[in-house]
Amino acid sequence: MLRENITAILARNETWKGHAATEPFEAGWAIEAVVFVRALKPPVGAQPTARIEISPDGMHWVDEGTRLALPARQDEVCFARLRGFGNWLRVAADFPDGAEACVLVTLHLKG
Amino acid sequence: MPAGSPDPEAPLTEAALTRALRRAIQTADPRLSRFDPLPRIISHDDFARGHCGWSQLVGNYEGTLDTMLPGYAQHTSAMLSTLPHWDAGSHGGADSSYALKIATRPRAGAQNVAIKRLNLRHRGPIRFEMYFTFKPEATELTLGDTALRSVGLLFDLQGGDRDGDAERVMPHLRFLNAESGQHRHIWQFKAERVPFQPAGGSGETISHYHLSPEGWQDLPDGHQKLCYNEIATKVNWAYLRFDFDLATMRPTALRCNDRVFDVSGMEPMRIPAMKNLWCMLNFALFAETDTDRRAFLYVDSVCISGDF
Repeated sequence: MLRENITAILARNETWKGHAATEPFEAGWAIEAVVFVRALKPPVGAQPTARIEISPDGMHWVDEGTRLALPARQDEVCFARLRGFGNWLRVAADFPDGAEACVLVTLHLKG
Repeated sequence: MPAGSPDPEAPLTEAALTRALRRAIQTADPRLSRFDPLPRIISHDDFARGHCGWSQLVGNYEGTLDTMLPGYAQHTSAMLSTLPHWDAGSHGGADSSYALKIATRPRAGAQNVAIKRLNLRHRGPIRFEMYFTFKPEATELTLGDTALRSVGLLFDLQGGDRDGDAERVMPHLRFLNAESGQHRHIWQFKAERVPFQPAGGSGETISHYHLSPEGWQDLPDGHQKLCYNEIATKVNWAYLRFDFDLATMRPTALRCNDRVFDVSGMEPMRIPAMKNLWCMLNFALFAETDTDRRAFLYVDSVCISGDF
């Protein structure tokens, strides 16, 4: 039996500013994940470091510890590799005043 | 033996034997026994083998994603879910750990759609069957039975390039659970469509958000009380069957659990044939929230079959 894998788009052409996060995603069937963030437009202002968050229930979130330095230029891609994440995953970031980014967030799952 | 009765000793015709064998095999197969498929199974999706071809409905665009209509821009990828609840853990599917989950964003009126894209090879009867359930996100310790607006399905169809009657035909069906905080509990259809808009400037790509909230009509005698259960984290699987004839491009039957509905007045959307959609056979499932709580449509399994 071949392993399952899926590419999911968690955010597409969404402008992030202030507190931003992807919609909750269930990935419990997967053993490993890679999260990519691509800037679709030139980022504005100082770009924060995003974090991976996990959750017991999809409603209460906790910092998993993995960090992604968000792209500084249009079409730049950053990524993070993940294991041992349980079921729920999301990407979150807090932008300083005046900063924003238009992002495409892609999740690769394999299990 | 009375005159006119079939001879019990007469050999079965090949067609009768085929029907009997097919029925026996399907009935004995636990994966198929709870479906009533037409002779040819086009797909059987139990979501214990991945997403089974159900992908995110992405809107049309040209040049930039900014040209995508807002209705489509809100869509996200469906996921495989064990229906994990904060208070009781994973609920699981009807027959395996996993179900397909279509989740809206937490904004009143938000929708999400998953789609399976095929081609038709014969214009005859098709049958769509599924086991499904729905709930709002359990963010509040209340029943929440009016938080979710609707769940539903639509087909997106077009005849072949040599068919003289080719149209793009889109039957839409939804269970309107609640609206503006009031229970509705009624099956509805939608024939009215919004005008197409250009996506980009070349004229090559156009788009219309056919799930806009306007234009839904009640199915005659379409009220039905489903098993919502007693708190936001208890669910029960319901059965839905929708029959459609690709020859006449009309719905022929609808069943949900124990109820059969008259679809003779159910009109699909009809659009002049489009230049690059020949033989399209698309199936889409959607959820819609009535409040600022996420709405979840869970699909345990789908069986799509045809008579050809």
